[in-house]
Amino acid sequence: MMEQQGTPAGDAATTSARLTREQRAEARAQRSAARAARTRYSAIHTGPGRVLTAIYGLLAFAAIGRVSYQVLLKFDEAPFAYSLSALSALVYILATVCLVIGNRVSHHIAVAACVFEALGVLVVGTLSFTHPELFAHDSVWSRFGQGYGYVPLVLPFIGLWWLIRIQRRVSPRNRPTPRTSQTPA
Amino acid sequence: MLIGYSLLLTAVSLILALRNRAAGRVTLVGTAVLLVLLLVQMVVSIVVWGQSPETDGILFFGYLITALLVVPLAGAWAYAELTRWGPAVLAAAAATVAVMVVRMDQIWL
Repeated sequence: MMEQQGTPAGDAATTSARLTREQRAEARAQRSAARAARTRYSAIHTGPGRVLTAIYGLLAFAAIGRVSYQVLLKFDEAPFAYSLSALSALVYILATVCLVIGNRVSHHIAVAACVFEALGVLVVGTLSFTHPELFAHDSVWSRFGQGYGYVPLVLPFIGLWWLIRIQRRVSPRNRPTPRTSQTPA
Repeated sequence: MLIGYSLLLTAVSLILALRNRAAGRVTLVGTAVLLVLLLVQMVVSIVVWGQSPETDGILFFGYLITALLVVPLAGAWAYAELTRWGPAVLAAAAATVAVMVVRMDQIWL
């Protein structure tokens, strides 16, 4: 690319400026690709993981909306159910953020979040049948997430499956067969 | 009408995902149109607000604003992914928006 600096005077300045800009952009792209490749956990949000992250994001949004409405305005009506909604909103936000960040630490946090969700939806779902008086109004996990198309019931398990799969993909390569451009995840 | 359109976008994105294609210009335009429709819906709702005083405003606009936020974010997330899962994201988001619109319809009295 350097050879083109011999072009006629008028274009030379703009051409070389543009080339330098392109070169810089290319270098930047290479660096960010390298950075992404360094944490192989970033595979968390590629491929099918993309949809998983998206669904967690959607649930987080829905939960935030629901919680803002319920907690800010009608907390007295069903404090237990709404507190549960707030808790579930926090967990979904946490899961979404962890999936987007995609490194080793956030992977482990995401696993914990999914386990918590799975327990939450199972326990709260069961409680909503055995102790309906606690749930004057619905929360996200009531009746196993029926109000949300049972997505809250299924999602943590799919999430765990995906996270474990990523972990398996990452781990064998972490064995010390040194590859020059890799740093340990 | 909005329900029909978001369902259409869901179906289109789903087909794209199944056909193993990345999100292309058609879905980009489609997503933009969905956003515009939602904005139009918002304006219209504000304008005819006086006619339905019993509708829970915060709930209704909560859904609307959530939908308005979801669409561009989902669009960005979908388009950054080059494989078939990009349109899958769009399909999921469009389906969710469809559900939200149905809900808004139910709330509007």
